[in-house]
Amino acid sequence: MVNRRSFARAIIAAGALAFAAGALVSAPAHAAKPLKIGFSMALTGGLAGAGKAALIAMEIWREDVNKKGGILGRPVEFVYYDDATQPAKVPGIYTKLLNVDKVDLVVSSYGTNEIAPAMPIVMRKKLVFPSLFGLAVNDEFNYDRYFQIMPAGPEPKTDWSKGFFELAAEQNPKPKTVAIVSADSEFTLNAAAGARQNAKSGGFIIVYDKTYPMSTTDYSPIVRAIEAANADIVFVASYPPQSVGMVKAAREVGLKAKMFGGAMVGLQFAAIQKNLGPALNNIINYDFWVPEPTLNFPGVKEFLARYQEAAKGKGVDPLGHYLPPYAYAYLQVLEQAINATKGLDQGKLAAHMHKATFKTVVGDVKFAKNGEWATSRTLQVQFRDVKPNDMAQFSGPGKRIVLYPKAWKSGDIVYPFNQ
Amino acid sequence: MLKTRADKIFWAVLAAVFLGGLALTELVANEYYYTAIYAILQATIMAVAWNILGGFTGYVNFGSAAFFAIGAYTAVALDKWLGLPLPFLIAASAAVCGLMGLGVGYLTLRLKGVYFAIATLAMAIVLETFVTNWEYVGAARGVYILTPEKVPFFRSYIQLLFVVMLALTLGSIAISRALNSSRIGRGLAAIRDDEVAAECAGVPTLRLKLISTTVMGAMMGVAGAPYPFFVTFVDPLSAFNLFVAVNAIAMPMIGGTAHWIGPVIGALVIGGAQEAITVTISSELNVLVVGLMLVLFITLAPQGIVGLVQKWMKRRKR
Repeated sequence: MVNRRSFARAIIAAGALAFAAGALVSAPAHAAKPLKIGFSMALTGGLAGAGKAALIAMEIWREDVNKKGGILGRPVEFVYYDDATQPAKVPGIYTKLLNVDKVDLVVSSYGTNEIAPAMPIVMRKKLVFPSLFGLAVNDEFNYDRYFQIMPAGPEPKTDWSKGFFELAAEQNPKPKTVAIVSADSEFTLNAAAGARQNAKSGGFIIVYDKTYPMSTTDYSPIVRAIEAANADIVFVASYPPQSVGMVKAAREVGLKAKMFGGAMVGLQFAAIQKNLGPALNNIINYDFWVPEPTLNFPGVKEFLARYQEAAKGKGVDPLGHYLPPYAYAYLQVLEQAINATKGLDQGKLAAHMHKATFKTVVGDVKFAKNGEWATSRTLQVQFRDVKPNDMAQFSGPGKRIVLYPKAWKSGDIVYPFNQ
Repeated sequence: MLKTRADKIFWAVLAAVFLGGLALTELVANEYYYTAIYAILQATIMAVAWNILGGFTGYVNFGSAAFFAIGAYTAVALDKWLGLPLPFLIAASAAVCGLMGLGVGYLTLRLKGVYFAIATLAMAIVLETFVTNWEYVGAARGVYILTPEKVPFFRSYIQLLFVVMLALTLGSIAISRALNSSRIGRGLAAIRDDEVAAECAGVPTLRLKLISTTVMGAMMGVAGAPYPFFVTFVDPLSAFNLFVAVNAIAMPMIGGTAHWIGPVIGALVIGGAQEAITVTISSELNVLVVGLMLVLFITLAPQGIVGLVQKWMKRRKR
């Protein structure tokens, strides 16, 4: 008699046999072994909006490369996991990518907090590590195979706000006093520290220098305090929710400063631009790419058209000017380096990446010794003639004028801010 | 120590698990498994610790993340200040968080039930604000920890961390079991069932509650101390993550809060499932899985997995 236990055993054995047979039959005849690129990405959690947009851009790159026949004749595959914007998940993901999935190459997740926890693991394996929008991650590690695509420059902390203060210094009469206000978080504090240095070296007097908690909801007391300090220029370092709050409060209070902006994250995103509308006018803020004629690099328009098509209905930035071109470009750099060195030798790749100039959709990329861009291209752009409730206006030129650096300048400053 | 047969079995299993862990580091080089098991072990300590106050004593603590984070930041600060080796950092974190637990213990004099739970949550927020503004440990910017590339006896640093964490976990389980099955444990159970009656019956309630909160705090600090070396980058947002606190509550609830083995089972089941889901489906689903299991267990099996097994064994005996 067949009892229940032996029946169950028989079922399991039969299942295992069937599975093994299936695996044998489905084994490919002899296709080229795919080239696996592994990474973690914030697909849920706080940075999900940006992470998903980056992934769309990366998938467009993969499609392009595979259409050309892959890299080294091998089709490109992605192996990626969601880190849920939790740094604690990152070490596990990268060790799995390298030890279990056996990926050939790794690239980073998005953002400083998600990049840093992967560093020791990648460093131990001595892999090239192209990274996406980390701020000064390599200052601590000094890893010579780290390459960061955000164009903040070799000294990102100070380069970030250099343009803002140089623009201020050029005005006549030169403004004298500065207010620096920053949210309590990793990026914003770094940006504020850089601004403090630039203000001092530019000969400005800091009359207000405070931080506020990330959870702040009412910004008018902060703006009133700045107003009371009588600052000529106001440098704000903030994340999207606070950026919106600060801009609205500045308009409500009728801030009389002559320059306002600096390092406000969020004003680069189409949804926030539409939401704030004319309140943005004359604000001078950092950006990395805007659709001005001076920044019309080969391929970027085509890339954005495809991104915008793919982004529809996915809840990500519909225009994708800020992060997606760079998410495409950091893989372009890797691709070009592999093709140039004709292999995956990590030492050769790194050596090549240090000396070559790469042609990408975000323009020519050249890395400094510490893996940051050799020269900063942190733009200072000024919002101009923004009309209410119209997102499409931001897809063309004329709304975000590049004032700095001079090489990319597309118009002149409107000064003072409040007029 | 080895009074009964159960004691002998318990210590034999503990020793076997530890030796098994050591053997694993000799046999398996793949670092992923250590990383995954580390996360599960960390969750196990947190669950066991939470259960000492939440399960044995009946005081619900929502501030687990605060103990964990203070443990982590104590280690960061001392590592930066004196460069102490890991065992000292763990001991220091245990001491600091034990003291913090003692403070929380005095709170129980005035606060019970929901009010105690809210107070612990508030404590977590206060401490997070404090760390966010503590410049020495990187404040809101976060802090990097560089781990040595070569470690004696082990192939990599994560193996060392794994063995350390395994020893700490087994230690926590032993302490939890000793508490549960001792005079103290019976006193704690009396407090859980009816504090006033316990006091009237001569149970030294305050002293027992202070022991309970101190042990809980120290254990959570111990779980947090190696964390900076595991992630190599700590910022207040990730250290004070609400998810740490939610897991610490969900795991004992699902495993069963009345018995010392409950949180261990809960942590192994939930922690294992989470690690598997992260790499197979999606990280965000973790939260959903934990939430759903919590709801299911609280409504259908409030005694947890241990309760279900006990019921089943009783039925079989009949």
